[in-house]
Amino acid sequence: DEEAEVKVTKLKPVASKEDEDFMAALDLMMNETIQARTQESLKVPQLDIALPTQLKNKTKKIGAGAPATPNLLEKGAEDEERGESGLKFLLMTRRGNKQQLTNFEIPMTAEFATKFKEREQAERIE
Amino acid sequence: EEEPEENQFYMKDLPKHACSYCGIHDPACVVYCNASKKWFCNGRGNTSGSHIINHLVRAKTKEVTLHRDGPLGETVLECYNCGCRNVFLLGFIPAKAESVVVLLCRHPCANLSNLKDMNWDPSQWLPLINDRSFLSWLVKVPSEQEQLRGRQITAQQINKLEELWKDNPDAKLEDLERTGLDEEPTQVQLRYDDAYQYQNIFGPLVKLEADYDKRLKESQTQDNIVVRWDVGLNKKRIAYFCLSKANDEMKLMHGDELKLRYVGELQKPWSGVGHVIKIPDNHSDEIAIELKSNAGVPETCTHNFMLDFVWKSTSFDRMQSALKTFAVDETSVWGYIYHKLLGHEVEDIALKCTLPKRFSAPGLPELNHSQVYAVKTVLQRPLSLIQGPPGTGKTVTSATIVYHMVKQNNGAVLVCAPSNIAVDQLTEKIHKTGLKVVRLCAKSREAIDSPVSFLALHNQIRSMDSVPELNKLQQLKDETGELSSGDEKRYRSLKKQCEKELLQAADVICCTCVGAGDPRLAKLQFSSVLIDESTQATEPECMIPVILGCRQLILVGDHCQLGPVVMCKKAARAGLSQSLFERLVVLGIRPIRLQVQYRMHPALSSFPSNIFYEGSLQNGVTAADRTRSGLDFPWPQPDKPMFFYSTFGTEEISSSGTSYLNRTEAANIEKLATRLLRAGVKPEQIGIITPYEGQRAYQVQHMQYNGSLNKKLYMEIEVASVDAFQGREKDFILLSCVRSNEHQGIGFLNDPRRLNVALTRARYGVIIVGNPKILSRQTLWCHLLTNYREQKVLVEGPLSSLKECFVSISKPRKLVN
Ligand SMILES: [Zn+2]
Ligand SMILES: [Zn+2]
Ligand SMILES: [Zn+2]
Repeated sequence: DEEAEVKVTKLKPVASKEDEDFMAALDLMMNETIQARTQESLKVPQLDIALPTQLKNKTKKIGAGAPATPNLLEKGAEDEERGESGLKFLLMTRRGNKQQLTNFEIPMTAEFATKFKEREQAERIE
Repeated sequence: EEEPEENQFYMKDLPKHACSYCGIHDPACVVYCNASKKWFCNGRGNTSGSHIINHLVRAKTKEVTLHRDGPLGETVLECYNCGCRNVFLLGFIPAKAESVVVLLCRHPCANLSNLKDMNWDPSQWLPLINDRSFLSWLVKVPSEQEQLRGRQITAQQINKLEELWKDNPDAKLEDLERTGLDEEPTQVQLRYDDAYQYQNIFGPLVKLEADYDKRLKESQTQDNIVVRWDVGLNKKRIAYFCLSKANDEMKLMHGDELKLRYVGELQKPWSGVGHVIKIPDNHSDEIAIELKSNAGVPETCTHNFMLDFVWKSTSFDRMQSALKTFAVDETSVWGYIYHKLLGHEVEDIALKCTLPKRFSAPGLPELNHSQVYAVKTVLQRPLSLIQGPPGTGKTVTSATIVYHMVKQNNGAVLVCAPSNIAVDQLTEKIHKTGLKVVRLCAKSREAIDSPVSFLALHNQIRSMDSVPELNKLQQLKDETGELSSGDEKRYRSLKKQCEKELLQAADVICCTCVGAGDPRLAKLQFSSVLIDESTQATEPECMIPVILGCRQLILVGDHCQLGPVVMCKKAARAGLSQSLFERLVVLGIRPIRLQVQYRMHPALSSFPSNIFYEGSLQNGVTAADRTRSGLDFPWPQPDKPMFFYSTFGTEEISSSGTSYLNRTEAANIEKLATRLLRAGVKPEQIGIITPYEGQRAYQVQHMQYNGSLNKKLYMEIEVASVDAFQGREKDFILLSCVRSNEHQGIGFLNDPRRLNVALTRARYGVIIVGNPKILSRQTLWCHLLTNYREQKVLVEGPLSSLKECFVSISKPRKLVN
């Protein structure tokens, strides 16, 4: 009983002029940023996003755990690829010229995770 | 002498990474805004965007840093390809065949044509900001519970705060509501959005009261003090003296600190600080202080002393600290209690508990049905109010509850009350049940004797045999008054350790509400807290024991009796004088009322029961139980030991200038007291209630010099204010109403709760002395006088031949609560 759940009657979102202004300002900010980007003539590097070598040729998925070392990748078991509430992923970032992989989990409810699963399902059927 | 501890008193603060809007500080839930150098959470509260997005949009900034302990660690949010860090542009795409994602800006990188050839799926690009908040895998969204526990900030407040930051980047939300000096403070509310708002409203009120108290106390410097010296049992020097101004305003209490200064020529200048150990009473108007140090005391001098009040902020500091902890520390109070106290709608929760077979506790009287009901109900609920009308066994019920709470094995129970007297009474009862009780006293009160002194922490340490070294040092200290600095250090550390042991082994710790803020309790957690006389404490005072981890809270009191004393009128007007108990009653929490009274003769209880308790008081005593056989006293109605004695004397202003004297009334009271004494009533069975200090002092003198019996007898009769009699009883009460000025109201006795207390102190008989014509102008008094007239106990004339008084009184108007 120590952690008996406390059920509070939820406070509803309060409609206000300030809140509406915020929503409009956010949309505006999004649009303006993108427009500015498209109008700028940007010099971006030639695209080079290779998958990390340790992932290539691996059909197995990645397991849970801290830094994703190749070693860890080996033992990805079926129940490990899905966390309790989401899908396990690796975020690939660049540190200097080196690639870095960070484990994270996308909640099952997220749009992306749902899509990902659908796709996976479709592939399996194929 | 041991104050440094208090100065280091721990004030809770939010960590640096707390959301600048709502205070949420789970590292997984917050983001740092690189431009404004502030943290914000990814919860949206009651607005339509998360706090960080709200901020970025309003401050027009675009770069953030994740918290190092968040889900992605020290990951930098930048486009993998071009390094762009604008979060409004960033999104991510997954690899075609692997569970790998990469951050890319929407344009141009995510649109580059060769992406498809490289195992990536650009059609899957999704922005980091979705539905006006960051993706939850990037920054966690705080749970609804966490969000409800944080500060509830509105879009309007966010706007204003952002405006404020443009001028003053360090501004806080509370700066928005800061009131000017001469403005009225914000009124207390019934419900609060969150504990921050609660703190923002009560904090300034506590400050107002503290400032008022400080000004008042520090303005009380008095000169020409004549001192009489004595030595206490502990070899400490005691100074006795009288104050020329009456004690009305100074309201000296045991434990207060005074500074005595010698300004004469016979000796070099000296000053010493001491605690008050005696205040003016029937025996003498003298005040006594015990000096902290005997060094250089000018014992041969008696004249030319000055006196200053040493004002201490301790109690106010502790209230402020409690308010702050309540706001920023989510472990300070369990969520259910938190929301209940703030007036939120919460689904009821029953506590799992093993109900005892017998509800009465060992060593205490058997409980009646309403007491059993109270004990049983309270044990199963996280939050309860018990209303104990006069004489209904509130203390026994509280002690019984504490006994069963300890037996539930949820750890030590913290028992508090606003006054030391109430704490002592309850401590005594709880001790009778056989539980291990520790009474924690303020260090300034250790010299003051009480019936439960042996349970006091500082005395229990003295009788601990386990640490002989401490005993030895203590003995040395007592004998010589001082220790070498090395010994003193050793003494303190040993003492601290023993205190800790005793406190940890206790079943129950008893202290005043302010005492619960003692640094010695700072590291302890109390899941069960009972506050007696809680209706006499201000809310911030009540919060001091509550924020020590409370999961079960029992407030005992009676909101129909006197409330907390608030000296500053501004703070009182703003609602500081309303107790937490009262507010919870208004919020709809029904107090469990104890219904059987064992104090008053049934004739005495009927009016208060009808007027203050909807007629619900039952009598646990009969008229015969409360009739003194053979008492030769001229009651106008033999079966009703009560009457209103009409007197038409005039009042005058007393020497202190604030109170009202009425000589005729004092003379009448003296005659009544003499008559009771002659009939064989013992002086300690009589209590005289006067509303003003001036009248009290005059009454005491008048009886001793004009009374026809031995002076000593009158000295044993207690004369005090209504407030001083609250929580206590006497066999016979003489109530002097004093104010009979035509132009001014009846002031002091205007308060119905004060009248209730005055009328319910007596067991065997009550006599009211006053001017019926003037009193009847007030609705409640009008009811009382009409009631007394109907019962033929509104009388006048010489005591030997009392006859009904037919002076015209106004028709009673309907009472509205
Ligand atoms: Zn926030
Ligand atoms: Zn880019
Ligand atoms: Zn709440």
